[in-house]
Amino acid sequence: MTEDMTVRNQLMFGKLMIGATALLLMAAQASAETIEDKVAVCAGCHGADGKPVDKTIPTIWGQQAGYLYIQLRDFKRGDRKSEIMQPIATQFERDDMLAIAEYFSQKPWPDLGQPRAPKDVAAKAVAASASVGCPACHLDRFQGDGTVPRLAGMGRDYLAKTIADFRSRARGNNPGMSDLMLATSPDDLAALVDYLAGL
Amino acid sequence: MHVKGLAAFAAAVGVGLLSGTAVAQEVKQEKQSVLGNANVPPVTQEQLNAADKNAKDFLLTNGNYAQTRFYPGKQISRDNVKNLHVAWIFQTDVKESLETSPIVVDGVMYVTTSFSHVYALDAKTGQQLWHYAHKMGPITVYCCGPNNRGVQVLGDRVYLATLDSKLMALNAKTGEVVWTTNIADPELGYSETMAPTVVKDKVLIGTNGGEYGIRGFVRAYDAKTGKQLWNFNTIPDSSVGVWATKDATGRDMHRNIQAEKDMLAKIGDPYAKLGGGVWQNPSVDLATNRIYFVVGNPSPDLDGSNRPGDNLYTNSLVSLDLDTGKYVCHFQYIAHDVWDLDAVSPTVLVNVKDKDGKTIPGVIHAGKTGHIYVHDRKDCSLIRFSEAMVPQENMWVLPTKEGARMLPGANGGVEWSPIATDPGQELAYAINLHQPMTYHVESSAYPNGKLWLGGAFKVIPGEKQSGNITAVNYNTGKIKWQVKTPEPMIGGILATAGGLVFTGEGNGKFAAYNSSSGKELWSFRAGAGVNAPPSSYMVGGKQYVVVGAGGNTQLDYKRGNNIIAFTLD
Repeated sequence: MTEDMTVRNQLMFGKLMIGATALLLMAAQASAETIEDKVAVCAGCHGADGKPVDKTIPTIWGQQAGYLYIQLRDFKRGDRKSEIMQPIATQFERDDMLAIAEYFSQKPWPDLGQPRAPKDVAAKAVAASASVGCPACHLDRFQGDGTVPRLAGMGRDYLAKTIADFRSRARGNNPGMSDLMLATSPDDLAALVDYLAGL
Repeated sequence: MHVKGLAAFAAAVGVGLLSGTAVAQEVKQEKQSVLGNANVPPVTQEQLNAADKNAKDFLLTNGNYAQTRFYPGKQISRDNVKNLHVAWIFQTDVKESLETSPIVVDGVMYVTTSFSHVYALDAKTGQQLWHYAHKMGPITVYCCGPNNRGVQVLGDRVYLATLDSKLMALNAKTGEVVWTTNIADPELGYSETMAPTVVKDKVLIGTNGGEYGIRGFVRAYDAKTGKQLWNFNTIPDSSVGVWATKDATGRDMHRNIQAEKDMLAKIGDPYAKLGGGVWQNPSVDLATNRIYFVVGNPSPDLDGSNRPGDNLYTNSLVSLDLDTGKYVCHFQYIAHDVWDLDAVSPTVLVNVKDKDGKTIPGVIHAGKTGHIYVHDRKDCSLIRFSEAMVPQENMWVLPTKEGARMLPGANGGVEWSPIATDPGQELAYAINLHQPMTYHVESSAYPNGKLWLGGAFKVIPGEKQSGNITAVNYNTGKIKWQVKTPEPMIGGILATAGGLVFTGEGNGKFAAYNSSSGKELWSFRAGAGVNAPPSSYMVGGKQYVVVGAGGNTQLDYKRGNNIIAFTLD
């Protein structure tokens, strides 16, 4: 072993030790993390005031706790795909997910200031909704309950993207929704998007 | 501490407990006074056995263990029903789909609401005696509304099954929780909306979840402890059956038996996630110690490609031994259903004429198909089926990707709505839906407890929908009379010895009809959908009729939160 190698090994050992200590510290921190620490990362995309920073990102403030929990669970399982959400959800155990879901469900639903759909569009949307029975799960005025999400006042672009993803089955964690969206015409779905965003 | 003091202490503890649970609920104003004024005597098994002859109380969801929904009192009659008026209105704290069947025990009424709330009310005045606001777990997975259809009392306990799949016993006087048992995991699609049936210290309960790939069951729990006594899987380990190609009425169902057999060889028996929910109460035959109930659709509803075989015992009448839960007999209406035209409305035990005209113990069921099926109680065999109560077209066209039109639509016919019977007239009364639909099929793998429809059923926009009230002679199968209604009907119906039937509509109309002719004799506008089964009872020497007016999620009828009682003078 040359002196060079020894120095390099010592350096490597030192780095490893620092790394290991950091990991230990992080683990200790993780266990002492408050719910605020756990959700800090969320604001980056979902908004510090509950208004998502990008229009294709969903509102999670005021969303149903059961629904938020199931989405975190599915991101972790890989049943719902997202390069961003999957690594985040993977860090959490079931209890964390339930706590995070409860935390956001207690926040007020933000007003995204989206316009009401014009009368003809609303009428078309209501007919389409009645045809496949949306309120049977999303309930009166699309407020959702339990594991079924609130859709009223959700971001327009997110709604449009989600419906498209259900139709292509790119969003694969609710095939029943894919079936219902595939049975509904793109025209009717466009009306539904405007209607729901404006509720 | 003397007895009175103990009662006051218990009541005070009850108040504390309940206000605690109420905080996390959507209930705005908690006013439940959980005081000893729910002064109700214990309900004995003997009383329950004789419920069919008792005009004072309404002890079971469907009136009695035979589930006849025939009320024996006749103070309110064809002659005076025109004078019926509101006695009181009670507003619940929950304005959502209302499917409750009020029960009445010695002047105390128990009603439930969506999200599994229970109220005890003074049946004479509508005054609230206590309110149990269930603290719902965050995980609820359910189809067709957060409904609850009622409770039953045995002894001094009220039995409730909740949306998050728990079975509970409450103190009938105070509303305090006595015990709670987890029935099944809501995360896998199990939920409860039915009222339990309690008999011989057993609490009988089915499960929802046929839209989520569950394995259905009916269970008995110990009424005293909540411990499970027996379990009957509504989907047996061998679910394949006899490869029936025709339905109960003899129509071809267009099954591709060879393709199913090939699939069976490939994937084996699909029993584990085959659905088979039980939405409504069993009837209890006290003489033979048997129960009778119907089993709902297979999972996924519209896609049969991955569930080869008859999918036993979906879409079937089933009978079990009450003490052991052991299978006695079954009859399947639609094998390998791909239309969700399943069996939901509760069974009724009445004496019927067999094929030779001999009177025998029978069991009848009103199907989503629009037929009333009449069976021999001994072996479940089919004696006859009634004329169709709703238009039937294009049966049994297979669902397609683009959608195939068929009548009836997937809600029926007769949905979960209980029927009523009047044995003296040999009539069964059913409320029906007429909703033209297209049936669409899509294929996907089991989604871990998520909605698993295997396609969609779509109401056809522009095609006229309607409903009807139909009286069927179950000894001939002929329709005696039919009243058309402007909208599809869901909720339930009550027949009385006063020669009347009472039922409500989604547009808020609640009406009384002559039970022999269908002539409308009285009506009332409730302001929200009347989509719950009515009950009747006596208190202070007066007969009352009571019904919930809170609309319906499944058909999106106007929501409300009223329990309305009517009486004469």
